[in-house]
Amino acid sequence: MFIGTEKLTHTYMPGTPFATEALKNVSFSIEKGDFVLLLGPSGSGKSTLIQHLNGLLKPTSGKVHFDREVIGKEKRSLLHLRRRIGIVFQMPEEQFFSETVYDEVAFAPRNLNLAENQVDQKVKDALNRVGLAAEELAGRHPFQLSAGQKRLVAIAAVLSLEPEVLIFDEPTAGLDAAGKKNLFNMLEYFNRQESLTIIISTHHLDEAAALVNRVLVLEGGRLIMQGAAEEIFSKRQELYDAGLALPPVTEIMHELRQKGLPVSTAIFTLDEARQEIINLKRRRYR
Amino acid sequence: MSRSITLGQYLPGESLIHRLNPRLKILDLVVILVLLFTLQSFTGLAVLLGVVLVLFALAGVPFRYVLRGLRPIFFIVLFALVIYFFFTGGGVVLFRLGFITIESEGVRQGLFVVGRLVILIMFSLLLTLTTTPLSLTSGMGFYLKPFRYVGLPTEEVAMIMAVALRFIPTLMEESQRLMRAQLARGADFESGSFFHRAKNLVPLIVPLFVSAFRRADELALAMEARGYRIGAKRSSLYEDVIKPRDWAALALILTLLGTAVLLGL
Amino acid sequence: MVSEASTIIEAIAVNFSYREEETSQVPALSRVNLKVFRGEHVALIGPNGSGKTTLLKLFNALLIPQTGEVLVEGISTSNESEHARIRQVCGMIFQNPDNQLVATTVEEDIAFGLENLALPSSEIRRRVDEVAGLLGLEHLLRQPPHLLSGGEKQRVAIAGVLAMEPACILMDEPTSMLDPAGRREVMSTMHNLHRDSRLALVHVTHSPEEAVHADRVVVLDHGRIVKEGPPEEVMTNLELLHHYRLQGATAVELAEMLRKDGYPLSPQLLHSRELVDSICSLEQKS
Repeated sequence: MFIGTEKLTHTYMPGTPFATEALKNVSFSIEKGDFVLLLGPSGSGKSTLIQHLNGLLKPTSGKVHFDREVIGKEKRSLLHLRRRIGIVFQMPEEQFFSETVYDEVAFAPRNLNLAENQVDQKVKDALNRVGLAAEELAGRHPFQLSAGQKRLVAIAAVLSLEPEVLIFDEPTAGLDAAGKKNLFNMLEYFNRQESLTIIISTHHLDEAAALVNRVLVLEGGRLIMQGAAEEIFSKRQELYDAGLALPPVTEIMHELRQKGLPVSTAIFTLDEARQEIINLKRRRYR
Repeated sequence: MSRSITLGQYLPGESLIHRLNPRLKILDLVVILVLLFTLQSFTGLAVLLGVVLVLFALAGVPFRYVLRGLRPIFFIVLFALVIYFFFTGGGVVLFRLGFITIESEGVRQGLFVVGRLVILIMFSLLLTLTTTPLSLTSGMGFYLKPFRYVGLPTEEVAMIMAVALRFIPTLMEESQRLMRAQLARGADFESGSFFHRAKNLVPLIVPLFVSAFRRADELALAMEARGYRIGAKRSSLYEDVIKPRDWAALALILTLLGTAVLLGL
Repeated sequence: MVSEASTIIEAIAVNFSYREEETSQVPALSRVNLKVFRGEHVALIGPNGSGKTTLLKLFNALLIPQTGEVLVEGISTSNESEHARIRQVCGMIFQNPDNQLVATTVEEDIAFGLENLALPSSEIRRRVDEVAGLLGLEHLLRQPPHLLSGGEKQRVAIAGVLAMEPACILMDEPTSMLDPAGRREVMSTMHNLHRDSRLALVHVTHSPEEAVHADRVVVLDHGRIVKEGPPEEVMTNLELLHHYRLQGATAVELAEMLRKDGYPLSPQLLHSRELVDSICSLEQKS
């Protein structure tokens, strides 16, 4: 287990008549290099779970593990933890407060009290990694950038910590089709080429489903399913009952199967779907 | 979803108390305040306590809401009791340990002051729990109307107050989300000197301001799109009718005041 | 063919620039001519910055064109004294569910537009209750807005507009900030309204799955209308859509791929159901 939880339970406002159990006995394990999809309807506890992973919230009971240690409560260790596990929240460009892109991206490494030349290196690296030209943009005011660029700067602002784990909450919210594609390509690169462990919580399954190797499904605070993508997305009815939908392409395959065609439903991209449908013909003519 | 209930949050209901005219409810509260501060005996306080509890029951408000509403003043109450108990003298000595003395007069005054405060808060809670913020602000807007003649745009002020109230929970949630995001970037809001911490608030304050302005912009557009115009005449969902029951309530309260004064309570 | 009385909105040779852009090369909208007919569902699509939202705001006089004219039920939007009337005829729903709810309870918010019209209290009450019943909001009437889900908030916004008895509802990406459940909620509400009353809808959307349900699709790019027509014509034209950086609906994209492999699928195929049925019947035939 590289990162994971053990019987994690979280209750908001415990002991009051308004207590709500947001997470109930959640246990899962993620290995280094995994690309994980966190699914669940609104109110299922996804965002509560995410906040436990870098110590923003403390468990009411149960444990959170990272790199063979239990996440503790001391403040110094939390800062160290947040250097290794970065969270990019929804609409991250709403956190901007600096006058230059440089300062915005430098905020995180400066919080680590690094020497300015080290900070400089990390800022430039982070901007490069998201595909932005550091020399051109570093001095600009963040509000002057396009929506897509703002999103990338906000991601760079977390990347500058050089985390080993990246957690995203709705990374493509508000982006257009091109922006979404670009972002998922970037995440794929981070995961496959840079070996980052990535966890994304999203409803935009079309791009995500094809890239992830594990899926965790939350409902009402419980982890109702976890496993490989093919396995989870074959459970159409359970997902429906939990208020979730399949990736559109997978849905089409399920419908074909329901009508009696012997197609696989472990299909997540248009190309795979096309191939599978064509193979129907080939199989017949064998 | 907001997980905490802010002080004074409206609790929907159909009780008699809910249906009283907000303008008069405000007046009722003012009279009760006057009453509270003219009372001098515990009997009077006890009677008022009984009255407010009956009213809560009539309004259908679960007692836990009352307790929650009193929570914020818990420490003030404790502090006041300590001050009075230990530092106000007079009367019979009740307790002595070394140089710590508790005398009956201190106890009496402490309990009285605290009792009055608690009852005051309870009546205010009764008002805010049973009256929608919008009707409260429009009720207050009524009393501000005379100021229109000195150039104060009372209608607009009432609208501003209402919109501010509407957005308080939303902005609170947003500031919490923002704080988490900045913490995830290694921000530290707790340690360091006063100035250090103040500077560290910049990553919270600037984005909140920016977002507040953006919200205001969008909201203004939405209001315009629904026909809102400054200075135009507007009507209201609520009949601003004063029913006999409103006068009856006011009369009852005035009677209480009169009785209390006459009996020297 | 179509009589003038059945035109609700007409944009004639409209040019519009935002103030800062007056000296720049590309205005927000140039030479736009468009009519919206009674009872019609028009989808406005186009890449970011194409002018879709700007056009929508011209329809309810939030913006006035520099040259050209916008007529709403025959009245010009440059006629300031008629703005109240125009905004009653054309109601608008915005993208951010939160930033359009003004009041402290749901029923007060629905009443807001009616209060602006200075209607008597009894009439306001009647309409609020009627509209709440229509949209299933009765149990939420006394709730404060911040406790509602995204989908519920948007439905409250729709109720508020509906209560004003408009002829047309303008919607600026009403579902883009909602989760899939909220999106379904809002879209089915809109479809039901459109079906049951003669309400016209002008709907700016980034989702091809939403655009395929419209009566007419208008494609904007760089402030000009580049294509207009029924969805069978526009949303199946992938070459056009891709050229303007737009995505086709999944079923349409897949159908096109299969057509290139020799599948004789109807060129007007729009929905996944049609695709599934076509593939099944083709398989059965062989």
